[in-house]
Amino acid sequence: MQRTENPLVPPFRRPPSHVAIRRVDSYERDFFALIYETLRELQKRETAEQTRPQAPGVPASTSTTLAQIRGKTVLLKPNFVTLDPLSAINTHPAIVAAARESFLKLGAAQVLIGDGPALDRDTEAVVESVRLREYVGPLQRSFTDLNVDDVARVPLRTRASRLKELYLPKTVLAADFVVSMPKLKTHHWAGVTLSLKNMFGIVPGGCYGWPKNVLHWAGIDNAILDINATVRPDFAIVDGINGMEGNGPIQGVPKKTNVVVFGNDPVAVDATCCRIMGLLPEKIKYLAGAGTLLGHLNHDKIEQLGESIASVRTPFAVLKEFEGIKEVDRQKRN
Amino acid sequence: MPVVQSASDTDFVFSVCLPLLQTAQNSDGGWGFHSGSPSRVEATCWALLSLIHLEPSNEQHETGFRFLRGTQLPDGSWPSSAEQSVGCWATSLACWVLESDPASREAVAAGLNWICKDLPRGPSLFQRVISSINRRNKVVAQDESLQGWGWTPDTASWVEPTAFALIALDQAPKELLPNGAGKRCQSAKALLYNRMCREGGWNCGNPMVYGVPGDPLVEPTVWALLALRNESQRPEVAKSLAWLEKSIPTTLGAGSLALAKICFETFAKEWPPNAPDLKDLYAKNEFLASIPVLAWTCLALGAKTIWPGTKAVVCTDAKN
Repeated sequence: MQRTENPLVPPFRRPPSHVAIRRVDSYERDFFALIYETLRELQKRETAEQTRPQAPGVPASTSTTLAQIRGKTVLLKPNFVTLDPLSAINTHPAIVAAARESFLKLGAAQVLIGDGPALDRDTEAVVESVRLREYVGPLQRSFTDLNVDDVARVPLRTRASRLKELYLPKTVLAADFVVSMPKLKTHHWAGVTLSLKNMFGIVPGGCYGWPKNVLHWAGIDNAILDINATVRPDFAIVDGINGMEGNGPIQGVPKKTNVVVFGNDPVAVDATCCRIMGLLPEKIKYLAGAGTLLGHLNHDKIEQLGESIASVRTPFAVLKEFEGIKEVDRQKRN
Repeated sequence: MPVVQSASDTDFVFSVCLPLLQTAQNSDGGWGFHSGSPSRVEATCWALLSLIHLEPSNEQHETGFRFLRGTQLPDGSWPSSAEQSVGCWATSLACWVLESDPASREAVAAGLNWICKDLPRGPSLFQRVISSINRRNKVVAQDESLQGWGWTPDTASWVEPTAFALIALDQAPKELLPNGAGKRCQSAKALLYNRMCREGGWNCGNPMVYGVPGDPLVEPTVWALLALRNESQRPEVAKSLAWLEKSIPTTLGAGSLALAKICFETFAKEWPPNAPDLKDLYAKNEFLASIPVLAWTCLALGAKTIWPGTKAVVCTDAKN
């Protein structure tokens, strides 16, 4: 599968990544205009970049870029977890629906929506509780339950964890362009859960159970790296309008941040989100690892559009175990 | 789908769900999670369990049994999909289904043996001692010495695979149970009670994380209750049934609703009049074309026999 053959490139050989921060104060607004315009802007930058000569020795990427989206199959991978009356746990369906419309308008041949909730095997109940059907129509036509999708054996590209292979959904492997669409949340075991951690949701419960406990025993941080190194999400859109701090991803406290963060490099998007949350991305174990082969962690290598990080920075509370990842603590120590 | 919604439950089962289930069987004898998908052990088990309760035995059942026997691994376990070489929770489901097939006796015995040898992974003794000293930092509040079953080998105990194994061992002919089955069942039942949520009911298996109570979910609650169905006198069972009854009116998933109905019938409880109608849920999303949900719906609305059956003797060691 082409998706799993994209070369791993160290940061010094990578072109800069593009990340856009948009300020949004409510789920009531017109997301289509916001998302479509942002994607267009990022697309223009990518197109301009592709006309530049490639640096010598950099292996050619096999992945689809935003600039090449026309005629392609896009998979949106939101983070749907459980019943969420305060809209702090799950990616909001308004954003998912607007992303679908935007990619279609950009020329994508089809835009699929798929997730594999980790804790509740009644995916229909989870997705109904999120109200996705109200935004995208009957679920049997618009949504793929990745937990019970057809699977293929995939050797993992890296050996960060002791997992050597995983059975992964064919819908994910066949997609030309995978968009990770997480929520902005802290995580009680991984520090934060953003676009890279969101990819846990592609691992099928139908092979590994609910929860996908084999990933926990393999080491959460390392499993996140192996999954992302193998599947390589192409883009990220983070719903940070209402996020979660403290004992996330389910039992924390809702936190309003009023941003949507976009980017063509999920590592750079997650690093930017951490900075918005007042956290140090290089102190988050799996992000530090991802910064070596999967994308840019370094702020100097991220071309920022839209709002500045400083203007939207909203420090998040973390569990005591993760005090060391807070920016403020580091500044005090220094 | 007005036709579906106005049909009786029996019509819905026999004119919609059952034909969909029957025609979804693959040429290899198995069923996928969706019609047209490659056969998977779990989906095949649910489809067969439903068909053998709704129809007289027939060739379709036989080819399904053959598929299951053909996918059994040399160690006696069943993988989730035929290409995998490691067994999983589907072993319990396969044993449960094949118990009704006289030709599968050896396969069932080997499967039960694997189940009883499949120990979950837990914290080491050293980690347990540290955790008991340092209670403030304890992530989960549960008795880690109790053993149930994991979803896959070498992982921790969780509610649903534990319940599946208990049901399989309980349904099995006594003479096929390996040594130690009774002890495993005892510990597994204790684990289920230990993992119950404070308000009754179960989630996947963490009733408390970092001091915060977890919310129960319908499916794990149903499976735990069905595994404990011979202990209806226990207050935990009554409390969990009460939680389930309270939750049914707001249940959004057809799978959860069908299983809850099966659970209520097993415990001879009256189905709440304000429960959602499975036919209405079918009209919304066509059950996401899920074979297991179709199978559970057939069992919930169409099966004439009590399911999964009740027995007076539960999980005794064969050779004690």
